[in-house]
Amino acid sequence: MLKKELIEKNPIRHLNVCTESNVSSRMGLVISRAGLGKTAILVQIALDSLLNGKQVIHVSVGQSLEKTRIWYDDMFKDIAAGCKLDNPYEVYDEIMHNRMIMTFKESKLSRAKLEERMNDLVYQNVIRPSCLVIDGYDLACADQQFLADLKEMGRAMDLQVWFSALSHRDDQRVSNSGVPAPCHEVEDLFDTVIVLQPAPKSECIDLNIVKDTTGVSKCGKVLKLDPITFMIKEGC
Amino acid sequence: MKDLSKVRNIGISAHIDSGKTTLTERVLFYTQRIHAIHEVRGKDGVGAKMDSMELERERGITIASAATYCDWKGHSINIIDTPGHVDFTIEVERALRVLDGAILILCSVGGVQSQSITVNRQMTRYRVPRIAFINKCDRTGANPDRVIGQLRDKLNLNAIPIQLPIGLEGDLEGLVDLIKMKAIYFDGDNGEKIREEEIPAHLTAEAEKRREALLDAASMFSDELMEAVLEGTPTEEMIMNAVRIGTLKLELTPVMMGSAYKNKGIQLLLDGVANYLPAPTEVDNFALDLDKEEAEIKVSNNPADPMVALAFKLEDGRYGQLTYVRTYQGTLKKGDTIVNARTGKKAKVGRLVRMHADEMEDIEESGSGDIVALFGIDCASGDTFTDGKLNYSMSSMHVPTPVISLAIKPVDNKAQVNMSKALNRFTKEDPTFKTFIDPETNETIISGMGELHLDVYVERMKREYNAEVQVGAPQVAYREAITQRADFNYTHKKQTGGSGQFGRVGGYIEPLEEGEYEFVDSIVGGVIPREFIPSCDKGFQKAVVKGALIGAPITGVRCVINDGASHAVDSSDIAFQLAAIGAFKEGYMKAKPVILEPIMKVVVEGPTEFQGSVMGSLNQRRGMIVGTTEEDDYTAIEAEVPLSEMFGYSTDLRSLTQGKAEFTMEFASYKPVPKSVAEQLIAEAQKKNKEK
Repeated sequence: MLKKELIEKNPIRHLNVCTESNVSSRMGLVISRAGLGKTAILVQIALDSLLNGKQVIHVSVGQSLEKTRIWYDDMFKDIAAGCKLDNPYEVYDEIMHNRMIMTFKESKLSRAKLEERMNDLVYQNVIRPSCLVIDGYDLACADQQFLADLKEMGRAMDLQVWFSALSHRDDQRVSNSGVPAPCHEVEDLFDTVIVLQPAPKSECIDLNIVKDTTGVSKCGKVLKLDPITFMIKEGC
Repeated sequence: MKDLSKVRNIGISAHIDSGKTTLTERVLFYTQRIHAIHEVRGKDGVGAKMDSMELERERGITIASAATYCDWKGHSINIIDTPGHVDFTIEVERALRVLDGAILILCSVGGVQSQSITVNRQMTRYRVPRIAFINKCDRTGANPDRVIGQLRDKLNLNAIPIQLPIGLEGDLEGLVDLIKMKAIYFDGDNGEKIREEEIPAHLTAEAEKRREALLDAASMFSDELMEAVLEGTPTEEMIMNAVRIGTLKLELTPVMMGSAYKNKGIQLLLDGVANYLPAPTEVDNFALDLDKEEAEIKVSNNPADPMVALAFKLEDGRYGQLTYVRTYQGTLKKGDTIVNARTGKKAKVGRLVRMHADEMEDIEESGSGDIVALFGIDCASGDTFTDGKLNYSMSSMHVPTPVISLAIKPVDNKAQVNMSKALNRFTKEDPTFKTFIDPETNETIISGMGELHLDVYVERMKREYNAEVQVGAPQVAYREAITQRADFNYTHKKQTGGSGQFGRVGGYIEPLEEGEYEFVDSIVGGVIPREFIPSCDKGFQKAVVKGALIGAPITGVRCVINDGASHAVDSSDIAFQLAAIGAFKEGYMKAKPVILEPIMKVVVEGPTEFQGSVMGSLNQRRGMIVGTTEEDDYTAIEAEVPLSEMFGYSTDLRSLTQGKAEFTMEFASYKPVPKSVAEQLIAEAQKKNKEK
């Protein structure tokens, strides 16, 4: 299979992360309890952007560079093997030139810091990202201003910003549109929210798009996550 | 015979400048192997004991690992001091192969740096249990807690402190032992007098908290301790046993601390070595049985069994070649006849010595698990010796391929002779150092793992062998590879007087994913007679030595023959060799060859304020930035950069960062060069050919 076909057949197209019709900036959220596959989704969103020739910055909070890199290696291998990609090594090399991983300690992450780093990268002509994924940031401790700042930064830099957030079984609070705590009170800042939930009567995990104000993603449970490979697919 | 449970074969590995040699010096002092302490860059002009090479003394770095041994509280400890620079990684790897345990030294200010990550990876590869020692707690900016956090985050170790410092930086007074729950102070001029006191009041609560964490972690490895903790009666012995079990399983890393320079904490570290690191009997080592298709066999450690020993290091001593060996089973005795498993040659053990840096002590025999040195045995590093009853070889070691080469030219005839001697020695000592004569230029080429690596050998030639050489510009070891399958059908015909030559070879070449070269014979019906099949293989092997693009060796190619023709009179070995060479040439350009270059994994560490400019500098050098790790105003930038672009980077980096950043690099992979670079390389090669 060629790269083009791979992009066209990738189930993640339902999220419309980077098709032509896409809005240039949006703030997305993937939220679930621990271990359901938030990082896997973010990495697949990033890989979709990369396969489309876009550049991506992956910010990993509290996880090492090596671990984050392994996520990409493994997910790409699965994607390439799944669709029998013709020239996986070439494609991998090509897309990895467009990805950069930044790891931070939680306390260090702020809009000013991120913006400074990204401006550095753009100025030094290292990378000009159109997608920023932030994994592992504790949104329970984040204030609304931080998220508003990042949304503003995304808009100013024409960026898609995707967050992951951890919800807890014992915290039952939920917003009107179904966004669980700790993001139920800041949901208005996100354009798209995906909640991961174990699918009833199945081993798969549902990607429930509970909110989308961009009009490019369809709400509902269109996509699933394979619990073994953590790959997004259309049915279980 | 020595009680093996009291033997410890340990290594001391770490990032450069984190104090390995200083620490070893203290260890030798406290174990009474030496009677005075000298510093690495000592004002007394003596230099530390383990830095036995003059060059090491001058540069303040350890290059070749010296082996020594000492006794501590009834335990015999063999220590291998290992180099801290990544260019000498083969030394570290070789040392780790023969070790049973290791001390991973970390600087309390610098923390886990890139070299520590490399060393840790190597230790994991060889399953070496380790103790972490956070050194330099007396330095300004010392922060052991941060280092412990890094051990967990960056090295994925279950790092559990078993000590707590009493004061830090200039106020470092001593340590709290969290197992004994006592404060330990180091009195006397050289910290040799140990004083045990009650824990200072201001540290009691913290010590209790940390002991709690230690008990939690240790009790995972011992039900006895877990029960005792629940009942509130854990004993020192129980805790130590549990920590030992966890350490041996590589699931727990006890963290100790102190300051070698200020003579604090070293005796406790020695206790730690005896208490937590394994005896040779507790480590599984495997040999390959050469009589049974290299089947893995666990060596027994039994001194009564047939002898198996591994030569892991060679040195040119004052009295001839000195071979460091580790015995894995059986007993090595003076006067014994031993057999080199690789060459089959027999040798007599004339002299057996125990090494103490560059001094030695004659011994009569060495038991299994011991590290000793032999005199006058001709062998290469990595050779296995047996007593002839077994045909075992210790598992082969991972040896990286050289990535950089230099042309060297002796300045006069005397230097020429000495240079040959030196090169002969170095290539035997170090498998990553290679040398050959370029048949076209007649120049002697040396190749190795980095600029510093070759630099050190050139210096050693001068100092140890009095061989003054002129050095050419460093050259990158390019390779060529094909990217697609291509068919060939070539006839070699020669009929110009005398007997003729005839051979036709048909088939194809295709990229080989793993390995350098493969020959496949798919001939049916005898169109090429059987006796000429090896000739075809030989011809292809000759052809891959030099690619048509820039004359670099061709790698990753499978040559398949499936057709051909021969002549009853004119076909010969040479005719088919030449036919294969012609066939390969015919197919090669059709197979879309590319030039490959070595790509290095480069890690630059420095203050965050320089992050932008460092990334810019790597980018300019065709580097691919993989990522950054930012912590406490310090950032590590990881990138993949072609080696050809890395010459002179240390100077550039120094000027970019006011000397505040440092970098390490190691070989990562071979990758195709961009088109523009390929065109330039091809043009250069063509120009060179025309000049000839």
